[in-house]
Amino acid sequence: MLAIYKKELRSYFTSMIGYVFMALFLSIVSFYFYMHNLNSRVANFEYTVSNVSFIFVLLVPLLTMRLMAEENKQKTDQLLLTSPVTATDIVMGKFFAVFTILTMIVAVISVYPLIMSRYGEVPFASAYASIIGFLLLGGAYLAMGLFLSSLTESQVIAAVITFIVFFLTLIMEVIAKNISTSHKTAFIAFTVLWLIICLVLWIMMRNITVAFGAGIIGMIVMTVIYMNNPSLFDGAIVKVVSWLSAMARFGNFYMGILDLSDIIYYLSIIFVFLFLSTQVIKKKRWS
Amino acid sequence: MIEVKNLVKRYGDHIAVDDLSFTVEKGQILGFLGPNGAGKSTTMNIITGYISATEGTVTVNGLDIFEEPEKVKQMIGYLPEFPPLYPELTVLEYLNFVADIKKVDRQSRSQMVKDIMETTKITDVKNRLIKHLSKGYKQRVGLAQAIMGYPELIILDEPTVGLDPKQIIEIRELIRELSNNHTVILSSHIMQEVSAVCDTILIIDKGKRVLQDKPENLSIHFGSKGGLKLVVRGDKDTVISELNKIEKITNLEESEALEEGTVSLTLYFREDDDIREEVFFSMSSIKMPILEMQSIRMSLEDIFIKVTQDDELHDINNSEITDEEEVVTDAGNL
Repeated sequence: MLAIYKKELRSYFTSMIGYVFMALFLSIVSFYFYMHNLNSRVANFEYTVSNVSFIFVLLVPLLTMRLMAEENKQKTDQLLLTSPVTATDIVMGKFFAVFTILTMIVAVISVYPLIMSRYGEVPFASAYASIIGFLLLGGAYLAMGLFLSSLTESQVIAAVITFIVFFLTLIMEVIAKNISTSHKTAFIAFTVLWLIICLVLWIMMRNITVAFGAGIIGMIVMTVIYMNNPSLFDGAIVKVVSWLSAMARFGNFYMGILDLSDIIYYLSIIFVFLFLSTQVIKKKRWS
Repeated sequence: MIEVKNLVKRYGDHIAVDDLSFTVEKGQILGFLGPNGAGKSTTMNIITGYISATEGTVTVNGLDIFEEPEKVKQMIGYLPEFPPLYPELTVLEYLNFVADIKKVDRQSRSQMVKDIMETTKITDVKNRLIKHLSKGYKQRVGLAQAIMGYPELIILDEPTVGLDPKQIIEIRELIRELSNNHTVILSSHIMQEVSAVCDTILIIDKGKRVLQDKPENLSIHFGSKGGLKLVVRGDKDTVISELNKIEKITNLEESEALEEGTVSLTLYFREDDDIREEVFFSMSSIKMPILEMQSIRMSLEDIFIKVTQDDELHDINNSEITDEEEVVTDAGNL
């Protein structure tokens, strides 16, 4: 894992991309810092952080697009997969390399509240809670980007898909607010979603019994629940959609609340996407 | 050392490898030969654990690649069809990285990297970025990568592609050197290359094993006959009737004469016979001078083409040969 981590980190700084990413990132954050804190004479650094968190949607694809796609294209995955390293080593090494870059940026950002504190009172608790939240949010986006990059051979496609998915997470909350909350809609939506999952399952595994069986069982289970207790489905789509919205959770952090459930939420998103990435790598062997 | 048993790889309806079995002993060089798309690379990718097999097993030193991939991968060095290089790294950085992921000891690492660069002759370019190297150098860096850590089994997929003749000879020598301490499997679609370095040749076609033997024994398998090309100045009928007196000649083929007043013939006889002297004396007895005489053997290329061509084609060729034989016998009777 360490070998891959070191190589990955170094390759960001032997090419331009690491510097460009950091420079762009810091200049955008600094500009927001100037606008929301310095220029408007406000000491709450969390305003800057919460306003600038859309930055991940724009910049993370730049960092993660090459992670796996490049290996697939250059056929260097052949070296990695025929060496005595596991898929987990590869994914973790790569994730921590990009996470280190993000940590470096966040380390610089952490200085900003200190600068302000020279000139007056700064609410440090909420400032640093928001910075921690910012780091976790970034980690979640990096893990998603890594996963999406592992699906393709082309950096461009990886970047575009990543951007679209990130953009969806950004507007997820708005979507959630406008979805019907009736239990009937929820039931139909979940059934369709389940069938799509089964279709994906079939495409990936080419095993008709598993896909078909899962489809039938899922439908039966859902129908039974719906018949017995339809109120379970009330507003269910909204709940699920807003649960998926990475941004919504961010609210607590910037109010200075370090809630364990929020931290676990982000950590589990990171875990899930890293896990999925290892599965994609392993699956390649079985295709 | 390595044992491959009943290997099958299916992609949907397409069968890439079809019930392939073979073994390689320690210290041997196995040449993997077959036309493009025969399943060479697929088999190698399975052995190295890059892809899985649909059925069958691969064991290296008694360890199964599907059950203990990490341990087996540590024993294998692999140069795939396209050398897996990171263009943005320098040669030295790249080889250090490879040593890292192959879990080479920290103490012996720098010495090993140095030695391997010496043997593959890439020391001069060690500080250059890989993307600036020529194809030949890239291939050699790929080879250096495969020997990193001195694994017991080295698998090379077309190692000499893109090299110039001098480099090809160097690489062949290197492979021969390696076989002192390592087992080597290499693939190629070039016959001479395989026959020049390998102890055993395995010919596969459409994923199936066609033949496995030592290179020098290959021609025996096809009941090939010795042949003699002959150009004689003189009258065709006299020459043929005189030659028919030599019993060892099994077959006689006539080809178009290139010069006027000459006869061009190809004589076939059993391989262990030598009829050159008899032909000489028989021609000299009728005072018809031999202008050219040349022995022909079935070349490795012929064997290769013969064993890998379609069955249909094979049949057509056979029937053509029989037709010609008839013609020849007719001519002989005249």
